Amino acid sequence: MQALLQSLQGGGGNLAAYLAAHVLLCLLPAFAIAGAMTALIPKASITRWLGRSTPARVSYPAAAAAGSLLAVCSCTIVPLFAGIYKKGAGLGPAVTFLFFAPAGNVLALSYTGSILGAEFAVARVVLCLAFGIGIGLLMAMLFRRDDAVHDARTDALFAARERIGAAPAGVLLALVAVLVAGTLKVAPLQAAWASVDLPLGWAPAWQAQLAAWVPFDASKGEEGVSVQGSLLIVLLVSIGVAAWRGLENIVEGANRWTWAALALVAATLLVATTQWRVHAQGVELAFTGRSLAVAAALGAVAAYARRLEADAFGAWLWESWRFVKQIFGLLVVGVFLVGVIRQWIRPEWVQALAGRNDLLANATAVLFGVFMYFPTLVEVPVAHMFLDLGMHRGPLLAYLMADPELSLQSVLMVAAILGRAKTAAYVGLVAVFSVVAGLVFGAWVDGVSPWWLALGLAAFGAVLAGALAWLNARRAEAAPAT
Amino acid sequence: MTTVKILGSGCANCRKLEAAAREAAAAAGVDAEFVKVTDMKAIMAYDILSTPGLVIDDKLVSSGRIPTRAEIQGWLAA
Repeated sequence: MQALLQSLQGGGGNLAAYLAAHVLLCLLPAFAIAGAMTALIPKASITRWLGRSTPARVSYPAAAAAGSLLAVCSCTIVPLFAGIYKKGAGLGPAVTFLFFAPAGNVLALSYTGSILGAEFAVARVVLCLAFGIGIGLLMAMLFRRDDAVHDARTDALFAARERIGAAPAGVLLALVAVLVAGTLKVAPLQAAWASVDLPLGWAPAWQAQLAAWVPFDASKGEEGVSVQGSLLIVLLVSIGVAAWRGLENIVEGANRWTWAALALVAATLLVATTQWRVHAQGVELAFTGRSLAVAAALGAVAAYARRLEADAFGAWLWESWRFVKQIFGLLVVGVFLVGVIRQWIRPEWVQALAGRNDLLANATAVLFGVFMYFPTLVEVPVAHMFLDLGMHRGPLLAYLMADPELSLQSVLMVAAILGRAKTAAYVGLVAVFSVVAGLVFGAWVDGVSPWWLALGLAAFGAVLAGALAWLNARRAEAAPAT
Repeated sequence: MTTVKILGSGCANCRKLEAAAREAAAAAGVDAEFVKVTDMKAIMAYDILSTPGLVIDDKLVSSGRIPTRAEIQGWLAA
C-alpha cells in the first residue's frame, strides 16, 4: 500500500512539475510552429527539389529539410517517404528523410533543448543531419542495382513549384521569436526590471499545501509545484476547455471560444515569463526581460496572423490543435509513468551499466532504445530521468539517436515499403551510427580535443568505405558483369 | 451514384475529412457511396504527397488538407 502510494505520488509530482515549470514556454510555441509549418508552408516549395532528375548534392539536403519542416506527423511521413522512394529521388534521400524527421523536427528539438539543455539539442540535430545523409548515401550504394529499376514514371509529382507568402513567413518567424525569447537562457532576459507586491495573504498557506500534495526531494533532482505553477496548471486546463469548443471545428470558421483560447494561450505564456516570490504577506511579482521580449513577439504573431487568409488561419489553428491532441496526451501519460518508474530504479544500476562513455555502455543504450518503444517525444523525459540517475551523456545521446529512429512504427513502415533486406540494413546502420554518435559526443563532454574526434570520425569513415568497397568487390565476383 | 474515396491511413485528419464529406453529401442531397482507402500502395497510385486525399468519381480533388464543406459540395455538384 505504502509502495503504491509512493509510486502514484512520484508520477503525479513529476507530471505537475513538468506542466508547471518546464514545458510551457517551449511546448506551446512549438505546437503553434509545427501547426504553422504543416498548414502554411506549401509542400511544393520543398518537394520540387526531390524529383528524380535532381542531383544528389541538392536532393539529400532537401530531404533533410523536408524531414525537419514538413514532417511532424506520420500522416505526412509515410506518403512522402513512399513518394520520394518510388517516384522521386530514390532510396538514399528517402532514408535521409526518414532518419532526420523524428529528431530534426521543431517539436523534438525545442523540447530536447528545454529539458536536457541546449548542447543536447545541438548535438542531436548536427549528428542526425550528418548521419542521416551518411546512412542515406550508404543505403543508396548498397542497393544501387535495385534502386535503378524502381517505378519509372515521370516526376510530375515533384515538379510543382510554389513559394511561401509574406504573411505565413511572418507568422512563422514571429512564432520562432516567441520560442527563442521564451527559452533562451541569457542574462538580459532573466533579469527582473520591475516588480509589484500582491497582497495575497493566502499564498504562503497555499504554497505549504502544494508542497504537502507534491512532496519533493531537491537532492534527487525532483521539483515541486510553486504557487505560480498551480496558476499555470489552471490556465492550461482552461485552454483545453476553450480549445475544445473553439478549435475543434475551426475549419468552418472561428467563434468566440477560438478567441478565448488564443487569449488564454497568450496569458499563459506571459504568466510563465514572470518570477514569483512568496513571502509572509503575499506574493512579489517580478517582470523580467523575457516578459517584454515574449510580449513583443506575441504582438508580431498577432499582427501577421491578421493578414493571413481565413482558410490559412483556420488550417494553422487546426493543425496546431491536432498536434496538441495527438502528442500532449501521450506526453502527459508518459511523464506520469516516468515519475512512477523513477521511484524504483536505483542510481547504482544506471551508473554501473552506463555511467562511463565506452563501447559497451553506448551499445547497451542503443539496445535499450531499440527494444523500448516510447511514443513521440516521450523519449525526452525518459532521457532526463536517466541523466538525473547518473547516466553518462555519451550513451544518453546514443539512446536519444536510436529510440525515435528505430521505433516499432518506423521499422514496420520501412519494412512495408522497402522489403526485409533493406530494412535489416537500415536498422543495422542506424544502430552502428548511434553508437558512434554517443562515443563522439561523450568524448567531447569529457573534454577530448576536437582534433582527436575528427581523426576518430575520419577513421570510422575509412572503415565504412573499406567495408563498402569489399562488399562491392564480392558482389562483382558473385555476379559477373551483365 | 457518386463514389467518394477517402485516402489515408486512418489518422485524425482522415476521419475529419470523411465526416466533412458525408455532411457535404447529405447537405447537397447527393447519393454517394463512401470508400476508405487505407492501403499505402493504393494511395500512392493517386500521385499524392500527403494524406488525407479526397477522390470523387476517380478524380483527385484535394490532398494534404481538409477542405471546407462548401468546397466539397462544389466538387460534388460538378
